[in-house]
This record gives sequence, structure tokens and C-alpha cells, in this order.
Amino acid sequence: MSDATIEVTGLRKRFGSTLALDDMTFTVPPGRVTGFVGPNGAGKSTTIRVILGLDAPEAGSALVCGHAYSSLRHPLTQVGSLIDAAALQPSRSARNHLLWIARSQQLGPRRVDQVIELVGLTGAARRRAGGYSLGMLQRLGIASALLGDPRVLILDEPFNGMDPEGIIWVRGLLRSLAAEGRAVLVSSHLLSELQGMADELIVIGRGRVLASGSVSELLAGEPGAAGARTPRHATLEDLYLHLTAGEAQFRAGSAVQAPR
Amino acid sequence: MSAATTHARAGLRSGDFVAALRAEWTKFRTVRGWVIGIALTAALLVLFAYLTANGMHSGTCTSGPGGSPVCGSGHPFVPTGPGGEAVADSYYLVGGTLSGDGTLTARLTGLSGVTASGPANAAPSMQQTQPGLAGWSKAGIIVTAGTRPGAEYAAVLATPGHGIRFQYDYSYDTAGLAGATSARTPRWLRLTRSGNTLSAYDSRDGRRWLRIGAVRLRRLPGSARIGLFVTSPETLAGRATMATGVFDHVTLSDGRQTRAWHGQAVGERQTSFYSTLGSGSFRRAGGGLVISGSGDIAPAVTADGDTPASFLLQPLVVALLVIVVLAALCATTEYRRGLIRTTFAAIPNRTTALLAKAVVIGGAAFVAGAAAAAIAIPLGDHLMTANGNYMLPSDAATDARVILGVGVLLALSAVAALALGTIIRTTAGTVTTAIIVFVLPVVLAVPNVQAGSSSTASWLESLLRIGPAAGLAMLGALPRSAVVSYRYTLGNGYFPLAPGLGLTVLAAWALVLTLVAAALLRRRDA
Amino acid sequence: MNAALRAEWTKLRTQTSTTWLLLGALAATVGIGALAGAATHESGIVSGGDATRLSLAGIYVGQLVIAALAVTAIAEEYTTGMIRVTFSAQPRRLSVLVAKAVNLSALTAIAGLAAVAGCLLIGRLMFPADGLDPAHGYALVSLGSGGLRAAAGSVIYLILIALLALAIAGVMRDVGVSIGTVVGLLYVPPLLAQIVGGTLGEEIKRFAPMTAGLAIQHTTNVRTMPIQPWPGLAVLAGWTLAALLLAALLLKRRDA
Repeated sequence: MSDATIEVTGLRKRFGSTLALDDMTFTVPPGRVTGFVGPNGAGKSTTIRVILGLDAPEAGSALVCGHAYSSLRHPLTQVGSLIDAAALQPSRSARNHLLWIARSQQLGPRRVDQVIELVGLTGAARRRAGGYSLGMLQRLGIASALLGDPRVLILDEPFNGMDPEGIIWVRGLLRSLAAEGRAVLVSSHLLSELQGMADELIVIGRGRVLASGSVSELLAGEPGAAGARTPRHATLEDLYLHLTAGEAQFRAGSAVQAPR
Repeated sequence: MSAATTHARAGLRSGDFVAALRAEWTKFRTVRGWVIGIALTAALLVLFAYLTANGMHSGTCTSGPGGSPVCGSGHPFVPTGPGGEAVADSYYLVGGTLSGDGTLTARLTGLSGVTASGPANAAPSMQQTQPGLAGWSKAGIIVTAGTRPGAEYAAVLATPGHGIRFQYDYSYDTAGLAGATSARTPRWLRLTRSGNTLSAYDSRDGRRWLRIGAVRLRRLPGSARIGLFVTSPETLAGRATMATGVFDHVTLSDGRQTRAWHGQAVGERQTSFYSTLGSGSFRRAGGGLVISGSGDIAPAVTADGDTPASFLLQPLVVALLVIVVLAALCATTEYRRGLIRTTFAAIPNRTTALLAKAVVIGGAAFVAGAAAAAIAIPLGDHLMTANGNYMLPSDAATDARVILGVGVLLALSAVAALALGTIIRTTAGTVTTAIIVFVLPVVLAVPNVQAGSSSTASWLESLLRIGPAAGLAMLGALPRSAVVSYRYTLGNGYFPLAPGLGLTVLAAWALVLTLVAAALLRRRDA
Repeated sequence: MNAALRAEWTKLRTQTSTTWLLLGALAATVGIGALAGAATHESGIVSGGDATRLSLAGIYVGQLVIAALAVTAIAEEYTTGMIRVTFSAQPRRLSVLVAKAVNLSALTAIAGLAAVAGCLLIGRLMFPADGLDPAHGYALVSLGSGGLRAAAGSVIYLILIALLALAIAGVMRDVGVSIGTVVGLLYVPPLLAQIVGGTLGEEIKRFAPMTAGLAIQHTTNVRTMPIQPWPGLAVLAGWTLAALLLAALLLKRRDA
């Protein structure tokens, strides 16, 4: 279990004229919950897609458990992931959706029913997934990530559309998964969701890492792993705004101008 | 207050539709794929029309020595009638000149003849015949502006199948006495010219006369041709015939003589788009005349003539394919990512939303189709004529009907496909169903419309009668005539329905599907 | 590979549209065959018709439904974004494509066998009553004298069409565009051949996927066809193989 890590080194990727990833480098350690934060368009989803072998980088490498994702046999038994909870064929039932994923990893229907119960969808599992609310879809997505009992978990915005009870549940779940020695990478653009849950933080902007390190280090203003020296901050929110100032791609114009 | 509210709400409703229309139009024009699709529809229609017309070369085959066909390029000569229409004008005339007013009376005591019975693929000949005539074989009195094919005329005549008729200028026909003409039931015929007015009479006994009708022929010269004529068209089965009429009691008014009359085959070897059994002849017998003739004086009904339908059908299939897929996508892409919920949030009246969408996609399809047809028809006409094909003369109204017809056909098919998409909601199901229902029948029909084959499957006829493919009838421009026996079948290029009826059938399909779609939209959750 | 097969099979099996499309293909094929037979009695004048081929006329329509099934099997995953789940579960993308192809071929083979059997049965039972009998120059529908070739060939034809559609969908990645492309590729060349006519027209018929592939259905006058039955089917197989190779290449190259 010692190599339950994600190692991203020097990723570069360009979409047309925009540089989506620009020398993205970080490591996600085992046994910790790592927050992956940055403004919209910073490159969070692209990074995750590259880690999962969905997109090919122009340069650099991404290793999970020491291997390229594409070379893994039954990858979901090592890396569980949730990218877009709504990405499923709406006419299929949740159980059947999980079943085909299970089949691809040579798992049986028993495991499917286990994860359905784990995420609390037992009552709705045979309904067509197209009729699910966003919160239910997130639970289904988490179920598919947990299906292979993986050592590494990658969750892209798992709190979207969840009710407060769901958010608390996800936090508890991720903490306990990390406590079992798994590496957990959670992306979010809402720092408040990560506070009290994340042990480590990777802050990115414009395709590169702005700061990374343990939450306590970063709050205390210690030099982060990426070297950015930061003053003290009361909350993660303050820290985040400070780090990402000038890095956001999309930011509303300053408030309505006062009439002269 | 309440009146004002009502007013405001009524105003809001029509305003709602305009707003929905603008919203849907904006949605449509801002997806580049759809705009390209519409442009592609028009471009493909013109391109395929060009290819089709350019590839059609006409050649006529005549029977050479030994019966082997001799083929050459060019098309058969088809005379043009006084109204600019294509006509058949060949008959055997025994007559002379009529200067000024006059009346010709004659008794017809027999109308019989023969029908070619040789092999269907050989040229008809008098050597192989059997007794029998066509229903519209003709023997009677004619006054004509001249013997140039296509001249103005009026005639009173006997037929084997339709009794006595008064006909003039090829298309016009009035019935006289019913029944066949024979030695036991002879018929008296009389044609009177007074100025430019010609009056026709018939009688069973030569004493009690009935006036059938009269017509004013404006361009009849002072010195016209008058005489007795016999002609005989092909039978329904396409067999050439030769009719023989036996006339006596031939009298010209004012005691003028018929002695100087001579026989003449009018339009011989000129109206060659259908077969005749020789050019005709006459002999004097007793005080009367026995005249034989083959041909017809009638509107030209011929499979040899081309219309825009000759080069528009295949292009239409291609255009239909594109537009149907496009319209289906227009509906189903709304469901793919839940855009439909945004649409209904913006336009809560779902029927309004559907209608606005139908107007937009239907309108775009109509414009693309009509514009492309307006380019393709003159282009195709030009190419076909240059390649030696005979284009049937058509009037502006027919051209306009075909141009609008192409647009309407595409528009209604698009609206129907849109409705199907709203009903089925998945792209694959919709596109497949739409193509099977709206395009494949046309694909199947096209080769049969043009093959000129006599054996077209009847199920195809029914598809063009009750299926959406009935709309193809709007492209029909081949002339039909009540006075010509002809197989007005798909195999000869005729659609089973009249243009208006075909349009109605297709419109009914679109309407029913739209109603079902609207009902489901109201009933179902978005 | 086994896991990929089972996963893809579960997907196909649990998709409600699969059953409907298969039944639709069956109904369309047999129904059109029955219609064509029932209505061809008029042409008794034309002697020497190919009754076996006539009874299989429904393939012309049924293939479109099969193609729709094949297109859905891959393009809908792109439309919904589920393809990313598929590829993260099975990073060897080629095995996903192969698994889809194998399952689809199996289903198409079953549906195709049933459809062809139905068509031939209907032809044998209905046609003589319509006057399509040896007295009018129609050999009875049978598996003899080229009949077996026509029947087995029609099933293979359907499988090849399914794989062609699957590959096109793998390239186009959009349901509507894929079906449009398949329809264009199948139905437009015969029209084009009819338009240009002459030797060029014959040439088009020889190399277009549908006209070449359906040559396998001829049991009479085989010598006068633009292309012989088995070479015709080979032409279609060539199209399918080329499309599959392109799809495989793009699948490997492109981001999901």
C-alpha cells in the first residue's frame, strides 16, 4: 500500500491558443485528503482527465500508484474516480449503470449492491438514472468510484448539488477512506467545503501550481512545498483569494459604477 | 381594469409567439452546423439537379430496314397548339378551301378499324393487325386554320367509345349524341362557319338537328380549310390503330362542289412520339367517301417529354435526407443536455414553443428548397434542351407550383421530422424513423417514376397515395387529358394524386404528428 | 478482454432501446419483404424474376435500424459524456471498440438470422399465391441454387453494415451526424449511379458499400450484375475494415 500516490510531473497541454496546463507538478500522498483548488478554468478538470488517461498531455507525465493509468489492469480496483456525475445514459437504471462498470473490472453484482447501500441509494437503484437529482447523481458517481475498492480516489467537485447532510456525509466518508491509508484527491472551487476535511492543499491557477503543502503550514504562512511565501491567514478563503489574485481567468467586473 | 387586462393578455399572447419565434430563430441561426446544413440542402439540390440534367441525353429510335431499330440523337417533333401547349396533330383530311361563311353536312354510316397485333417491341405494321379501335378514334368534319400541325381548328366528330363530340383547339371537348356509329345507327354531322364562329350540330336522321355547341376562333383566316377527316390514336395498351370512316350525303352549303376535294395526310411523320399504322388514304364509293386515318388531334400525352420532375427527383431525395436529419436534431438536441428545460422556463406555453420551432425550421427548409428549385429548374431546362431532350412546354403557373412545391415538400417533411423528434426524443430513434417514413418511400419511388416501365408495383402507388411521399405529386407537370386514353401511371411518370391532393396528404402527416407532439409535450414532464 | 466484453454486453443488454431497435429491424425487414411480395403480382408479365432476392428486399430498410443501433452504441456515450467513465474503467480503448464490435455482431447475427428466415418463409408461402411461381419464370424461394448464399450473405451483410456504422460513429462521435453519414454513404451512391448512368454508373455500383454488398442477394442473372456476389460483399467488408481502422486510430489518438 506504500505507493498509493498520484505523481504529476511537468504536465503541459494547450487547447488552441490557450495554455491549459503549464508545467503542472504535484504529488498526492497516501493517507491524506488533498484539496485541489483553483478558479474556474485553472486546469483542475484537465489535470484530472490527463491523470485518468482520457486526455494526452503534450509534455510531462502522470503516474498513479507508480504506473501510467493506461497501463493499469482493472484500473478501477486501484484508482476510483468521479469526473462528471451526469455523464451517463439516462435510460439505464443506476444499478445497471454500476453493473456494466463492475463487469469491466471483473466484479460481480454483489459488489454493486454493496456500494449502492454504502452511498444510500438502495431505494432508488432500479429507477432510470435520467430522473435523478444532482445530489443523487453525485452519490451514484461516488458509488462508481468506490466500486473497485481503490487505493487512490479522484473526485472532481463531488459536493455539487448536494444537500448539507450529503456534504457532511461525503466529508466523513473521505476522511475515513484517507484514514485507511488511501490517497484522496478532491477538487473544489469552494474552499469552505474543504475546510476541516482537507489535510493537504494544492492551489492552482492558469495551469500551474501556485502553492501546495499541508493546510496548517499554509495557514501559518510557512513556506509551502512550491515555495510561495505567504503571510498568515485566518481562513482558507483568505489564503485562497490572496494566492489566486490576478490568476483568475473569469472574474466579474468591479461592482456597478456609481452614478456621477 | 378587467378589459384592459384582457386586452393586455391577448396582446401578450400574439407577442408571446413572436418572442418565441425570435428566440427559436436565434437558437437556430447561432448553431453553425444548422446554418451549414440548410445551405448544404440547397447546394446539394442544385448540384444533383445539374448532374442529373447534364447526364440525360435523348435519342430516338426508329425502325430501320429489317426491323432493327436505328437510333439517333434528338427528340421527336411535338407540335405546339394555339395555347402554347404540346399537341398531337396528325390525321387524314379530304377537303378543300372554305372562303367566308359556309356549312358542311355529312352522314357517317360506319366507323371501324384495325389494331396492330405484332410483337410489342417491333414497329407496328398493317400486316399484323386485328379488328378493333381505340375509344377516341375520330371521324368527322373539321374546319381548320391550315394544315400546319398545331393549327387552330374546330371539329364535330364520331368516336367508337364516347359518342359524338364537338372539339376545338385540342383541349376543348363537348359531348353530343351518345352511342356508337354504324350502318344501322348512322349519325349526321354538321359544322357551320359564320364569321369566326363555328357551330356544331348532330342528328340521327338528317331532319331533326341538335346544336352541340359553338366557338369563336379568333385567329381563323378568311380562307380556311374544310373537309372530312379520320384519325385514330394508340389504344390504352399502346397499340397503333387505323380507323376507317364511311361518309355519304356530303353536302356543302350554297351548292358548292366537293368534287375538287383531294386527300392529304396532315402532320404525317411529324407527330412521331407515338406510333401510327400508316398515313391513311381515301376512296370514293357510290356518292360517298371512305377515309382511313391514323394519329390523333388532341393534347400531347407522352412519356417522351420531360418536365422538371425528370431531373428534380433524385436531388430531392438528397435534400430530403439532409433536411430530415437536421430537423430531427433540432428537436432531440434540446433533450440531450436538458436545454429543453431552459426553453420551457423561457417559453412556458409548450405548444407555442413547438410551433415557433416548427415555423423556424419549416421556414428555413422552405426557403432553401424553393430557392434551390428556382435555380435548378431553369438550369436543368437549359441543360436538358441542350442535350437534345424535349422539354414539355410549361406555363409560369406550373413552374411556380413546382418551385413552391419543392420548398413546401422540404418544409413539411422538416416539420414532421421535428414533431417525430419531440415524440421520440432520442436522436437515433428519431433520425431512423424519420428517414424510413419520409425519405425511403421517395428513394423507392424515384426509379419507378422515371423508368417508363409498365409494371410498377401497386404498393408503391399506394405509398405515393397515402404516405408522406404523396407530396411528390407537387412536382407532377406532365399533361393529362380527359380526351386521351393513356396509362396515367407511375411507370409513365404520372403521380397517382393531383398536386393539391398530394400536398394535402403530406400536410396531414405533418399536422397529425405535430398535434401528437404538442399533446405529448403538454402531458409529459420536460 | 473478457471483462470488456462483459461490460459492453451489460451496457447493450440494459439499454432499453436495444430491444426496440432489434425488434424494429426484424419487423421492418420481414414486413417490407411481405409487402414487396404481396404487391408484385402485377409484374407477372416480366418473366424470370428473382423471387429469393425479392423476398429479402426488406434488408434495404432493416439495415438502417441496425445501423442506428450500432451508432447509438458508441455515439451516445460521447453525447452523454459517459465515454470518460468507460475509458477510465477500461483504459485500453481498442478493447472497448473490439468488445462493442463483438457484441454488436452477435446481436446483429441473431436478429439477421431471424429476419432472413422470416423473409424466406414468407416468400416461400406467399409468393406462389401472388403468381410469382415457376410458371411465370420465378423460381420458388429456396436455399438451393444460390439461395443459401443469398440468405447467409444477407446476414453477413447486416453484420458488416452494423460494424461500418459503429466505426463511423466512433469517428463522428455524434448520433445525428453519424446516422446522417451512414445514410448518405448507403443510399446516395445508388442515386448518383442512376444519375450519371453508363459505365461510370456501373463503376459506382461496383464500389459503393450498399450496391456492392447487396449483390450477394442475387440468385438469377448473376453474370450480368455489375459485381459478383462474393466480391461485392468483399467490397463492403473493405469499407467496414477501413472505417474500423480509422476509428481505432482516432480512438487512440484523440482525447476522450
